[in-house]
Amino acid sequence: MSENSHAIVTDGLTKRFGRMRALDQVSAHVPRGSIYGLMGPNGAGKTTFIRCLLNLLNPTCGTGTVLGYDVVRDSVAIRQRVGHVAALQPLWDWMSVEEFGAFMAGCYPRWNREAVSTVLDRIGMDRQAKLGMLSRGQRAVVSIAVAIGHDPEMLLLDEALTGLDPIARREVLREVIEAMHEEGRTVFITGQDIADMERICDHVGFLIKGRLAVESPLDDLKARVKRIRVEHPAGDAPELPAGTREVARNPRETVFAVIDYSSELLRSLDAPGQRVAVDDLSLEDIFMILAQPQTESSE
Amino acid sequence: MLDSIDPKSAIPIYQQITVQIRRGVAAGMLVPGDQLPSVRELAAQLLVNPNTVARVYRELEREGLLETRRGQGTFISAKAEVLADSERGRLIEEQLREVAKDVWGFGLTEEAALELFRNVLADCTRTRKERR
Repeated sequence: MSENSHAIVTDGLTKRFGRMRALDQVSAHVPRGSIYGLMGPNGAGKTTFIRCLLNLLNPTCGTGTVLGYDVVRDSVAIRQRVGHVAALQPLWDWMSVEEFGAFMAGCYPRWNREAVSTVLDRIGMDRQAKLGMLSRGQRAVVSIAVAIGHDPEMLLLDEALTGLDPIARREVLREVIEAMHEEGRTVFITGQDIADMERICDHVGFLIKGRLAVESPLDDLKARVKRIRVEHPAGDAPELPAGTREVARNPRETVFAVIDYSSELLRSLDAPGQRVAVDDLSLEDIFMILAQPQTESSE
Repeated sequence: MLDSIDPKSAIPIYQQITVQIRRGVAAGMLVPGDQLPSVRELAAQLLVNPNTVARVYRELEREGLLETRRGQGTFISAKAEVLADSERGRLIEEQLREVAKDVWGFGLTEEAALELFRNVLADCTRTRKERR
């Protein structure tokens, strides 16, 4: 996998805490210029993954590169090129927005005041407001504004949308889109709200119990995973293709999901006296299907 | 138009946007020369990935429905007028296809189905005339 075409590549990245495997052989590929959404339930390992990328945690085994730099050896180079917003980012409550910006500017050799201002202006942020007085949505936007101050090539946003009200969520979504559009910047975002992620992501990964169960361009996933209904009012139940999931057999109808849909597969189901319908699925349905173990071939 | 995206829908977002532009052209809401928002503007307005919007524009451009004038933006092309005709036919056909599935599934005869459609059309025509 080329390090030029990918902003993040990991190979078998594993992190154990005692006997618990927080990350288990994660091989992820985040294309440059994409908005990549890493989803999964609480405790699936999303934050651990980000922390390994920034060398805030040492991987137990496996390797990874961010923007071509090794996550263990080159963490300084990585942090200069990446903007990070942690989950529930702690901010110094007594600082004003202005002071916070100035403080962060001091941490980097270059600072793009204009880019930060543009973001703050979009939500009409008062620069003298104390961080402690801001709403969660405002804090999220301020965190993003400051995270792009050093013109990073990539943004890592951990749970940036989680727990926000609808209006604040829209504001943050907008900032992610704006941030991404600058020079094809890559955005890596974790979260749980699948609908929000589906809006903005073009690539998705799904982490379950530390394992990367799915990784795909979003559109491919939607084209591949389908629910098929075969109505057989008179005849016998159809023979199912291999690898079907979620099989439900009713007297005159058989419903199942496939993860490798194609027109050939559809043709193979064609039989006299039988009607076949193919349903598109939402991302949520797709994840539920892929998270389940495969059914053994019928009967 | 171009204002409602349903991320929970099973229909991919790029398809939802494409359909809305096509419908706009078919219904005469978008006419040749109309300028569309820039990729960035539309992405921010709909809150969707800019790559998705760029892809929609690219595909509709290849079909000839849209044209990009360098440095000016994306416009409904002059050819759209011609395409609108076939587009109208295609959109109706698409919906009829769905109906046809049920006609078949419910075991209706072709004649019975056509009779139903004629009645519906007559009914709609009457209502429209009364409104005028």
